[in-house]
This record gives sequence, structure tokens and C-alpha cells, in this order.
Amino acid sequence: MISEEYRGAKQWSRNKQAVFTVAWISFLSAAIGTMVFFAIFDPVELSGLFDEELEISHDAGYAAGFFFFWVLCAICSGVTAFLVRTAPKRDAKHRQQ
Amino acid sequence: MYESAKKIYPREIGGRFDRLSKLATVTLLGLFYVVPWLLWDERQAVLFDLPARKFYLLGLTLWPQDFPYLALLLIIAALSLFFFTALAGRLWCGFACPQTVWTEAFIWMEQLTEGTRSQRMKLDKAPWSLTKLRKKVSKQFLWISFSMWTGFTFVGYFTPIRELGLDIVALNVGGWTLFWGMFYGFATYGNAGYMREQVCKYMCPYARFQSAMFDKDTLIISYDEKRGEPRGGRKRSVDPRDAGLGDCIDCQLCVQVCPTGIDIREGLQYECIACAACIDACDSIMDKMNYPRGLVRYTTEHSLQNETTHVLRPRMFVYAALLLVLCAALVTSMATRTPVILDVIRDRNALYRELPDNVIENIYTLKIINQSDDARAFVVRVSGIDGITLDGVPDQVRVDGGGVLSVPLRVRAQRENAYGVRKIVFDIEAVDDASVVMAEDSRFIGPTP
Repeated sequence: MISEEYRGAKQWSRNKQAVFTVAWISFLSAAIGTMVFFAIFDPVELSGLFDEELEISHDAGYAAGFFFFWVLCAICSGVTAFLVRTAPKRDAKHRQQ
Repeated sequence: MYESAKKIYPREIGGRFDRLSKLATVTLLGLFYVVPWLLWDERQAVLFDLPARKFYLLGLTLWPQDFPYLALLLIIAALSLFFFTALAGRLWCGFACPQTVWTEAFIWMEQLTEGTRSQRMKLDKAPWSLTKLRKKVSKQFLWISFSMWTGFTFVGYFTPIRELGLDIVALNVGGWTLFWGMFYGFATYGNAGYMREQVCKYMCPYARFQSAMFDKDTLIISYDEKRGEPRGGRKRSVDPRDAGLGDCIDCQLCVQVCPTGIDIREGLQYECIACAACIDACDSIMDKMNYPRGLVRYTTEHSLQNETTHVLRPRMFVYAALLLVLCAALVTSMATRTPVILDVIRDRNALYRELPDNVIENIYTLKIINQSDDARAFVVRVSGIDGITLDGVPDQVRVDGGGVLSVPLRVRAQRENAYGVRKIVFDIEAVDDASVVMAEDSRFIGPTP
């Protein structure tokens, strides 16, 4: 049967689920973060605060900001996923109570 | 990497919901690909000009300071999603989500090059041959060109698309533009070509929490178990009642058309994106068997239990009321929006200056942003202290359309009126339109008495 044909093989491995979910959710969060942040701050003015010599374009500023947020969110989300998945299981005796 | 999940080969099926879904796909993708090419007053009608930090939406120009509108719009979008989910289930997933819409387009290209479901399955199992190579190459050619056009269009929302097109022809594209175009194109290719339903099953947060918006009156796509069971094959001439059978002939068509590879007859499952392909499939079989349609149909849990379905229920009123209030707020605030912004920056270097004749002076810079498209002249005033005066400002200051002007100025007051820290108010008024006014508070600092 067709539905049987799909069954059992249609799952992603736990690791793959975790990697893609973390990448995607942190991407969405980073998109929101970038939007809010750059609505308030202009990357060109910001770069001028640190170093007068430093001349970055808006494009580069937005991209750097976005990737910064993406990596930050991915670390946060990835470590959380890792800790949740590798947490010690409650032992059998405790569970029975 | 994706191949470890078994590929799902959705079978093509015609029918009313198929037509609806094709209409949605054509409309939504059509909008996506056409909108950046539209013009409004000789400029691109929809352009999110990031380098200039201005958003053009038809006749409207939005500035970073208008961000609250965007936030409000996003909240309205989220709330509409809740409203429609509670009312009619996963309408969004089945008909409007970019993931679904682009997957539809990619599957259509797959059908065009590799044929029907059974042909595709046979092709994938067959050893490599010239025919297989030709089919696979033409599919990839279509997919990749479509993805690249998608990436180009996406970037065209942020960079003027006509100039971008010329730049591409001249092989003169900026690095970041190229990067984001490729990024979006590749994401489309991967998501719609390969990951497809896996995105909905494993990566989509909405798919996981949408059930919280469901109740027993929400429209769901469901198999009528009471009518269908016991399922089984039979000849068309056999009366199912005599044979002790339900109306389901167990033809598996509903499973074959499912883009997420589930069997709707097992009940409501979170993998179901409510695309309604199984309704079309089952209806076509019911027609052939001369049974009434609707063995698989849009229904509600209440109606499956032979109870009344309440469309108008408290939840719907709450969502609708919230939506109305927010939409009204958005429209009013947009309509009454003053197209000028005033920022006041107090000079940080000196607290105050003492001039002869007991006059105290503070220094400020006003930043006037004219958000309208035409140049405007403004009158600048200050108030808050008796006898306060402005110095160094012409009678009128002219700001270009869409321009920012910095106005350095001195504010003076008599010593006896200016001890300590006082609140003062700057305000500007457009010369041509007295309704265009904007006020901004600041502090005036004087000596301690």
C-alpha cells in the first residue's frame, strides 16, 4: 500500500531536525531583530562612532548586522536544543512515583 | 542530505479545490513577480530602499521613524492568521504559504519534464540512461532558472529592479546584491525543490501551534468514518449495503495525491496542510461510483458528531473585534500622520553661556525631516520661558522633499527667568499648510540662583 510505502522512511533523523529547525528559527528571529535594530540605528552612523576612518556601506552594515543576529540566535537556540536533548533522564523509580 | 526521507510523489488531480489552489498560486506568485516592475509617479511603486533608509509603498514614503506602522501591520497579520485558523483551519498552509505556493510551482515543473506520478516514480527507480539524463537536466534547468529569477525579483524589492536588470546584463552587479539574490534563489530551490513537506513537518512553528487555535467548530478536512467504513473494493454494480461495506472503496487515491504523504482516513494529523487535494480525489471516485460526494470533506468536529456547528462563537467575536480595532488604529494614524519629523539635540559641550545684560544662552541643533515629496518652508518657534527668543534662524527654513535639514540655533532668555533646568518646547509649522505642525520638548539650562 502506498501509505505503507512512505511509512517509517518519512522521518528526518533527530539531529537533522535539530539542525534545520535551529537554523530556520534563528533566521526568523534574526530577521525581526535586524528590522527593529536598523529601524532605530543607521549602520553608517554607527560605524562612524567606533572609528572615523571606517567607511562601510549600508549594504555591508545591514548584512553584518543580520549575520551577527543570526549567529547569536543560532547559538542561543542551538545550545538550548542541545541541553534539552542531552538532559539526564529521570530514572525509572522516580518516574513511577 | 534530504534523500534520507523517502521522496513523496504527489499525484496530480483535477477538481474544484485544485482549481482554487492553482488560482491562489498564480495570483500570489504573479503578484510577487510583477509588483517590483510597477511604477508610481516615475519611480518604483514598491521599493524598500535600504541604503536611503526609505520605504516606498505606492504613494506613501515611510521612514525609519514610521517603524510602529510596520509593527502594527505585523500584529494585524498575525491576528488575521489566528482569526482565519479558528474559522477555517489551515487555510494559510494549504493555499497561501510561500512554501506551499513555490512547491506547487516546482512540482508543476517536475510534472512538465518528468511526467505523471507513476512516470516519475519509474524514472527515479530506473538506471541512468540518456532519456533519464535529458529529463533530469531539463527539470534542473527549469528549477534553477526559476530560482534565479526568484532571487533577482527578491533583490528587486530592495534595489531598483530596472537598473538592477541592466546591471546584470552588463555583468556589473554589486557583491551584496549578488549574494542576497543567490541566497534567496538557493533557498527557494532547496525549499520548494527538495525539502517541501519536510519544512512544514519539522521546521514550521505555526504548524505546531496552530492546533491551539482549533476548536470543535473549526473547519477541518476529514474523512467521514461512519459513512466510509468498513472500507473495501467492490464492483460498481454491487450495492455496498448488501455487501456489508461502507462507501470507501479503498482506492488509495486520497493517499497518492497527498503532498505530505499521509492517509486522511486515519483522522486529523498535524502533517495535514489542508490543501484539500484528497477531497478532489475522493469526490472524483464518488462520482464514478455514483455515490454522493463528500466522503472526505470540509467539516467540523461538531458536525461529525452530529452536533450543531457554531460559526459565530465568542472566540470569533474577540478576534474580529481586536482586528477591527487594530485596523482602525492603523488607518487613523496613517491618515492623520504629519509628514514632518522634528528632532532636537542640545549642544553637549556647554551647559550655558552668560551674555552681557543678564542674558543666558543655550545652543541646540534642530533636525527637520520633511517626509513629503515636495520641498517645504517651515517657521521655527520656541516657547516655555517668558521672553525666550531664537537667534541664528532665518524667518523661514526650506527643506527639500524627502530631505533632512540640520538647523543650528541659539536660544536666549533673561537670567531671572532661566534659573536651573527649564522645559522648553520647539515647534515648527509649514508655511503652506498650518496643519503640518510638530513640537518637540527640550531643556534649557541656566545658572543656579
